[in-house]
Amino acid sequence: MRPTTTKDRVFWVAGAAIVIVYALVPVAWIISLSLKPPDKLTDGKFFPRNPTFDNYTKIFDDPQFPAALRNSIGIALIATLLAVTLAMFAAYAIVRLDFPGKKIVLTGALAIAMFPPVSIIGPLFNMWRSLHLFDTWFGLIIPYMTFTLPLAIWTLSAFFREIPWDLDKAARVDGATPFQAFRRIIAPLAAPGVFTSAILVFIFAWNDFLFATALTSTNRARTVPASIAFFTGSSQFDFPAGSIAAASVVVTIPIIIMVLIFQRRIVAGLTSGAVKG
Amino acid sequence: MAEIVLDRVTKKYGDGFEAVKEADFTIEDGEFFILVGPSGCGKSTLLNMIVGLEDITSGELRVGGKVVNDVDPKDRNMAMVFQSYAIYPHMTVRQNMAFPLRIAKMDDDEVDRRVEEAARLLELTEHLDRKPGNLSGGQRQRVAMGRAIVREPAAFLMDEPLSNLDAKLRVQMRTTVARLQQRLGTTTVYVTHDQTEAMTLGDRVAVMRRGIVQQVGSPRELYNDPANLFVAGFIGSPAMNLLPAELDGNTVKLPMVDVPLPDEVHRRLAGAEGRRLIAGIRPEAFEDASLVTDGGAQGATFTATIDVIEWLGAELYIHFSVEGSAHEDLADLAAELDTADAAAGMGDADHADVVGRIDVASQAAVGQPLELWIDPRRIQLFDAETGENLTRQDRSGEGRASLREQASDEPAAEPAAGTDADPASADSPA
Repeated sequence: MRPTTTKDRVFWVAGAAIVIVYALVPVAWIISLSLKPPDKLTDGKFFPRNPTFDNYTKIFDDPQFPAALRNSIGIALIATLLAVTLAMFAAYAIVRLDFPGKKIVLTGALAIAMFPPVSIIGPLFNMWRSLHLFDTWFGLIIPYMTFTLPLAIWTLSAFFREIPWDLDKAARVDGATPFQAFRRIIAPLAAPGVFTSAILVFIFAWNDFLFATALTSTNRARTVPASIAFFTGSSQFDFPAGSIAAASVVVTIPIIIMVLIFQRRIVAGLTSGAVKG
Repeated sequence: MAEIVLDRVTKKYGDGFEAVKEADFTIEDGEFFILVGPSGCGKSTLLNMIVGLEDITSGELRVGGKVVNDVDPKDRNMAMVFQSYAIYPHMTVRQNMAFPLRIAKMDDDEVDRRVEEAARLLELTEHLDRKPGNLSGGQRQRVAMGRAIVREPAAFLMDEPLSNLDAKLRVQMRTTVARLQQRLGTTTVYVTHDQTEAMTLGDRVAVMRRGIVQQVGSPRELYNDPANLFVAGFIGSPAMNLLPAELDGNTVKLPMVDVPLPDEVHRRLAGAEGRRLIAGIRPEAFEDASLVTDGGAQGATFTATIDVIEWLGAELYIHFSVEGSAHEDLADLAAELDTADAAAGMGDADHADVVGRIDVASQAAVGQPLELWIDPRRIQLFDAETGENLTRQDRSGEGRASLREQASDEPAAEPAAGTDADPASADSPA
């Protein structure tokens, strides 16, 4: 390797700076917008002259946004929990058992993940209405699970495959039932995979707009992304940019917290030391 | 504590492959029992069937008098040590060793007491709170053993537990394992492909080949009185010399010399005349003719040119080659015996390499001819077609005992006096 020269350093620093600016300027712009009073929104200045939290107090005073936030958190968490739990069992069975149609299950799951969600919105809308699932939490949780399960199963089966089979066997010989072996030995070892898929499922459910607008009609189940679309200004002709910006900032925070919490759990090499080498 | 009885235990896979064919023997209570054979011979499958990780296709497995064919592994009260150790990486050493006890819902004081005791026994006390990832191979191996012994199980099952250790550590751990088993007195079934391990550790050894148990016996029986060519070639290091032979009256014609056989050997060979034979001669059946004192009247002497000498201080090995080899009959066997020296001894199409172990006082020199004496009492003759040992001392009357019968007869049979009296056979085979 040749020693790093000043030119190299300049190149890398400049490159990094471009990426950071590209990624973060829109975020900074949204934050800046959310802090501006309504009459200064179009002043074109990057830093707000007189920052104010009016937009934030306004969205929380309106009953619509807090309800949507509650729905979003509840629906996303339940969908994540169910999808990851189901995916764990499914992936474990797929990796450890040899049954006919194993390949079909895996490819079928992948096919579902590739399916364009918009194509099922119409039928789903009618079905949900007759099944009384329209505008309920479960009416959203079910499609979220359907679309995230394949991804979670694939991610988790990759992790389970890395866990030596001898560990299951050892646990069984040590007196554990198959379920105890799974819960006490295999699941903890697959934790990085579990958290990885949990983040993916959560982000999908949290950010979904399509199902949330089509399958809800009131504050009972409407989530934040859909709710933002229904924001209204003080008059019909007033575009509520300040409120939207504030809501966008608020809705980003839980995702950042989720990722920061789980990121610490996603440590590679947790299985090192199980077997030789 | 339990006696393990295998009654025609067979494993047949879905594709028709028979991994174990009618294994039929008894492992006595408290015995150190070894299953040995080249890789793929079904020894691990048999072990997995005993512990319950593989289903038994047919036959019966009884532990302590009870049929356990359909008992779940968790209810068999057996402990297993895996080749890969299979330590739980997310738990500390203490948690690993306590795991079987926690599953059994034992109270905390008892768990602590047993774990501490096992740790002391295995010199793991100062590592109890470390994670397995930070331990050396030997330490991990001991953790796996510790997890097995805390349970005070009915039997220990070990699947090549030492094969991942380096050579020096392996010898060390071998002693540890032997001492531990002696101290605990628990029935132990130990799987290995290393015949040295089998010979040094086992009270009794079962040699397997292609799913069939070839012979069950003490290491000494296997060494001095192998049931067939396979056992003869597999057991012993350096391996037994296998040479083409012919029987003429009471003389056996070897490539290098004709040897008159003692009456006791010849009597057993009825009907062997005219058949293609293979003579098996242990290296220690050779001696420098000038140093032979007792029994020199019997046997034959011949002159060979020494190719290689290995002098190990207490032992002296000489290598020489002879014209003619049983190469064709042995090709199959050589391929299966993955021990390098066994394969090397079989030579090629027209000459065979022979290893002799002679007195260190010998003046043997490389490239020089040496007069060698061969002990006729220690020549074993095998049928080249079937591989069966025709000179075997405890063959049942007909000399055509099936493998199954041989296996079940074996434990009762003691080697006959002729073999035991031979001074050379008292030496360690390893």
